Amino acid sequence: MQPVHCVVNGEAHDLLVQPLETLLETLRTRLQMPGTKEGCGTGYCGACTVLLDGSAVNSCLLLTVDTDRRAITTIEGLSRDGVLDAVQAAFVANSGLQCGFCTPGMILSACALLAQSSDPSEGAIREAIAGNVCRCTGYQSIVASVRDAAQRLRAASDVRDVPRPRPPIRSRA
Amino acid sequence: MTVPGTVIGAKWPRGDGHVKAAGSARYTADMMIDGALSGVVLRSPHAFARIRRVDIATARALPGVHAIAFSGNVPAKPLDFSIKDQHLFPPDYVRYLGEPVAAVAAETEAQARDATAAIIVEYEPLAPVLTIEQALAQDAALVHPDWQSYERRESSVLEGNVCGRNRIRRGDVDEGLVRAAHVVTSEFTFSAGLPGYIEPRCAVAHAGKDGTLTVWCGSQSPHGNRDDLAAFFDLDPSKVRFINQYVGGAFGGKILMAPEMYAAALALQCDRPVRVAWSRHEDCMHAFPRAGGSAVFTSGADADGRLLAMRASFVFDTGAYIGYGSGSALIATMLASAPYRIPALDLDGTLVYTNKHIAGPVRAPGAPQANFAKELHLDELALAAGVDPLDFRLINAWQDGDLSPTGQRLSSVSVREALEKAAAAIGWGRPLPALRGRGIAAGWWFSACGTSQARVRVNADGRVRVISGNPEMGTGAAAQGLPIIAADALGIDPANIEFALADTGDEAPDDGAHGSISTFSAGQAVAAAAADARDQLLAQAESMLEARREDLELRDGRVVNAEVPSVGASFAELALAAGGSIEGRGASSGLADPEIDESLVQGHGFAAWPAASFLATAAEVEVDPEMGGVHVVHLATAQDVGFAFNPAGVIGQIEGGAVQAMGWALTEELKYEDGALLNPDLKHYLLPTALDAPRITAIIVERPSEEGPRGMKGAGEPPVTTPAAAIGNAIRAACGAVPHTTPMTPERIWRALNPNLRA
Ligand code: FES
Ligand code: FES
Repeated sequence: MQPVHCVVNGEAHDLLVQPLETLLETLRTRLQMPGTKEGCGTGYCGACTVLLDGSAVNSCLLLTVDTDRRAITTIEGLSRDGVLDAVQAAFVANSGLQCGFCTPGMILSACALLAQSSDPSEGAIREAIAGNVCRCTGYQSIVASVRDAAQRLRAASDVRDVPRPRPPIRSRA
Repeated sequence: MTVPGTVIGAKWPRGDGHVKAAGSARYTADMMIDGALSGVVLRSPHAFARIRRVDIATARALPGVHAIAFSGNVPAKPLDFSIKDQHLFPPDYVRYLGEPVAAVAAETEAQARDATAAIIVEYEPLAPVLTIEQALAQDAALVHPDWQSYERRESSVLEGNVCGRNRIRRGDVDEGLVRAAHVVTSEFTFSAGLPGYIEPRCAVAHAGKDGTLTVWCGSQSPHGNRDDLAAFFDLDPSKVRFINQYVGGAFGGKILMAPEMYAAALALQCDRPVRVAWSRHEDCMHAFPRAGGSAVFTSGADADGRLLAMRASFVFDTGAYIGYGSGSALIATMLASAPYRIPALDLDGTLVYTNKHIAGPVRAPGAPQANFAKELHLDELALAAGVDPLDFRLINAWQDGDLSPTGQRLSSVSVREALEKAAAAIGWGRPLPALRGRGIAAGWWFSACGTSQARVRVNADGRVRVISGNPEMGTGAAAQGLPIIAADALGIDPANIEFALADTGDEAPDDGAHGSISTFSAGQAVAAAAADARDQLLAQAESMLEARREDLELRDGRVVNAEVPSVGASFAELALAAGGSIEGRGASSGLADPEIDESLVQGHGFAAWPAASFLATAAEVEVDPEMGGVHVVHLATAQDVGFAFNPAGVIGQIEGGAVQAMGWALTEELKYEDGALLNPDLKHYLLPTALDAPRITAIIVERPSEEGPRGMKGAGEPPVTTPAAAIGNAIRAACGAVPHTTPMTPERIWRALNPNLRA
């Protein structure tokens, strides 16, 4: 077992993990946060996408030992007190989900994009979610969801007049 | 203000949208069940072999092992399909590479894997039957050497490797072809394809000391599966409970039980819950794919392009066992000539066994295949006749009062409307740059109605709950459609309705989510239950408000005096006054089969299609002739759903279906070598990504049926049936050639363009 110190959704964790344990396993089993999904376990579906220091990564391909002193955001870390964040709300409003299995990963890929770009083109959106396979929707409603999310975030930042920071890493305290 | 009758037909967010976006929706693999053992299945390494001996003694003694299920300790009877050709664990022969021969439950997955490796199975490998040609050869080896001894339903066909045969015949095809000015023959081959759901299958089973068995899973048909499982293990069905979790897509691929059966077999041998979770690899190895096959078409048209006669012959490869695979050949002959007027028809469909995966009822089984062949073939005939493909279809399209291939009188026919709307959406006829092309395809489908019961309960806190055994697969039929239907009857916002995941313990039996059936049957049951609840609310209000029924109406969760809306009672107050809750009950009312002309059909148990629906897809593509690559630019599907209860749901089905169909058309193919599946993963089996997916236009056509509730027609499967054909025709329009084989890979397109060149 190896020690790892990582921050998941703003909460610090000191863990002892197997050397070959993936972040996906750690999240789902050790930390009992099953919002992150396993669709293939080999890096080809994107259902396991999380944010590592703000970038979208496949948690099935990442060893937990390599997340030492890094910040991880999972789908559980986006909503606050049961209120969906702008990206999540946009997916619900635009039929951007059906079975919902690709959704956590898809939303996190969208968050990573929107942290970089406040008004991404359709091409940029498709590029950003190209590693997230969805079998249900045909993607068009997902693209619409991400566009709407960008719009919601812009409207929110206009009001507050502050630039949108990286996807939220919140504290549980 | 929400009042009854104003909810249906509008776009509402899904009842499960919040939990899914929040990541808190629980799928079966997410369940943390205390003390669950890990169940692992041992699979055959041979495509075909005789089993000489299975010895579990060494494995059983290994540390951590709690149970081993194999042919020697599970019921010896075959599984209950139309042909009883399959056992849970085969006692005599393994018939495909990956077929389960035993299963182990152990404390950890590693221990369970070690134990499966320690099970001794002696095989005598046999030469497998791997292709349709091999299966149909004169001296073919038999996939089921003992087929003559099998029990089977009277309607089934079994003759060596042939396990299905049907024929539809009308008029004199030879005479029609002789009269025709243009006659074309075309041959096609279709790939087998995965359903492609993103959630691998998982089930957890637990046998209680009191003789109960609980199965947590993501079943497409919890009540049917529960009954089948109970019958197999000789259990009282009332003691077996299936509790569905959220399901990460199914597309027909989760209709046949798989992990459920192995988890149950193991759980019944030990006192702990057993969890069987497929990895993606294992899910592919145990998939029930869309059947591969082949077709030959010959048709003739007169000088004006009017169709005179068609002969079409299909063969589908159903794999090692019949399962629910018989639909492909039946549906294919129903689609082969439709939706076009053709006076003389001779259509046949054959199903054969091979030593490969068991083909399953993947979303519209047989239909993308049949439409691909038929529509490419008809374009070849239109080309020969010098008629524009759209005009050709419009000239020949069915109209009200026409007869189906099996002699059913058709009504509410919308083929022309669908064709015209789909074509217009992609700018049919307008000039295009070089190497771009447009194609079009049309089809038809059926509606089905199963038995379904539902309850709509108004609680003392004013919440309304819909209880139906109809499982939510992801389509929204249960999570979105059913709340809309209940909300419409009660005059409330669907967001105020809770829906329940299917649970056989709720005693609201339902036939399941397949055959585009959900809104038809469960929707009717919920509509009736909500109407019953509404009547009870009104009756309660009559006495509470001392008002006459005709003066009362429902509004925003209250029953009010229509003249003086400030006078009224909330649902909560009425439920409280009624003793704590008000519960309405309802059931589906069924759907009668239309009359057909029995003299036209042989061996066809699916020849009458009630509340028939129609659709067309138009495609625009760009082809790269150097590399053979295809870029699908635009797909437009116009689909007649009769009446759209839930337009957002229909659009989701059309858009998702378009891209699924595109995948099967261009990239998706199960590849075998010597019976071994070469691509059981998402790296080599290519599902379309957001970069591959085109712009999609979803057009809802509403031509009400006579039979359906409010005129509805089944909606879930049709959108996957026509896009592949439209894409194929667009490829030919773009570059002058098209492969007659799916998937239409760059290599195949290049070869079609360069028939005389070698790569
Ligand atoms: S589970 Fe990680 S990419 Fe599929
Ligand atoms: S919503 Fe089902 S896979 Fe995307």
